[in-house]
Amino acid sequence: MSLGSLFNKFKTVVAQKYGKDPGKMLIHTGVIGWVFSSLAQVAAIVINDKIPKEQKMFLIPQEIADAGVNIASFYLITNCFKSLASKLVKSGKWAPKSVREFLNASPKLKAKVGKVGFDILKDVKNVPESIAKDYKSFEDGVDVIATTIGSVLSCNIVTPLLRNRFASDRQKSGIARMNENSKTNESNDVKTVQRPTMETFKALSYARPSGSLKI
Amino acid sequence: MAIGAVNNSISRAANSVTQKVMNKTPGMTVSNKKVLDSLKWIGEKVSSPQNRLILGVTALMSQPFIDLSNKKVDEETRKVSAARTVAKIIAGTLTGVAIRYGCIKAIDAFTKLPHEIKPNMKFKNLRRLFIPSDVVLESLNQYKKALGTIISIAIMVVTNFLIDAPLTKFLTNKFVDKIHEKDKQKQVNKEVKA
Repeated sequence: MSLGSLFNKFKTVVAQKYGKDPGKMLIHTGVIGWVFSSLAQVAAIVINDKIPKEQKMFLIPQEIADAGVNIASFYLITNCFKSLASKLVKSGKWAPKSVREFLNASPKLKAKVGKVGFDILKDVKNVPESIAKDYKSFEDGVDVIATTIGSVLSCNIVTPLLRNRFASDRQKSGIARMNENSKTNESNDVKTVQRPTMETFKALSYARPSGSLKI
Repeated sequence: MAIGAVNNSISRAANSVTQKVMNKTPGMTVSNKKVLDSLKWIGEKVSSPQNRLILGVTALMSQPFIDLSNKKVDEETRKVSAARTVAKIIAGTLTGVAIRYGCIKAIDAFTKLPHEIKPNMKFKNLRRLFIPSDVVLESLNQYKKALGTIISIAIMVVTNFLIDAPLTKFLTNKFVDKIHEKDKQKQVNKEVKA
């Protein structure tokens, strides 16, 4: 495949996937952003010569776990908000006045309002153009608001709470393990795999050069 | 076959949960013209740069306080952690908004329909570079924003190292120095009072 046709394919995929769904684009690019920024954090640790190999053993899984929490909570929460708002609009439960009047005019359509499988634009034939236009601008607006609320909730409330909880639990268990190791090493005087000290572990956990930066 | 059956039952269960949530959600009919116009404006104009800005502003209002109230770590760690969070948010939001906005503007400049290309424009041959040739677009505006955002993310993988990380470090050090200065001042004041 030539570079030109690859470029054309890329443009077509973007147009088909996101050309009519701004909320979906915000979620997908948000997830890609989190994935890339997490990869960058892991790479920063991997290529940092100042961090001893033994400490990398702790920091890399820690960074990957952080990334897992960030990405999962962002996707799940934001997608839930977007999906629910989208169903409410598609099923006519939330609608602008013109669309409501159009639905109420037919008892058959009125009975379907609020049903999960009902999709106004797909299931109703011959929707007048002006109604379809009103519906589309209402749908896009609700979509963007729902996605934004979902991402604010996940990125700024749920994720920091979860991350702090995991980080402090990990710090506690890490320190306990290190103390245990140093005691065993002292008593046996046998050289085992060198673990980071409590101070370096704490310092690296809380003062990493670029931990969890959101792209 | 078995996978199909599992998929069907998962989908039925998900639909049933969604239906229950939908039944509990109050219905809404929007008739206020100002609200409808605002929704239309949001759908058309608000995209990833504005979304990133909203995320940044609300992050400043919530995340430092979450860090400061984390009783599982000592006070010093809490303060440094909150300072670093503020620095990270400022650096990330500034670059995130600027690069997204810039990329969408750049894509817009090279995604012009024939009637939009004016005779006095430079690089006329390139003005249709990003117009997709194999698909009928429902909204050119949304397509341009999506493409600009995707390209900005690729750029931000690099700027994350080159701008965000050093800027975060610089701001964190500034904030931590300020915190330490304040703590010292408090200590001096206490000693004077004693």
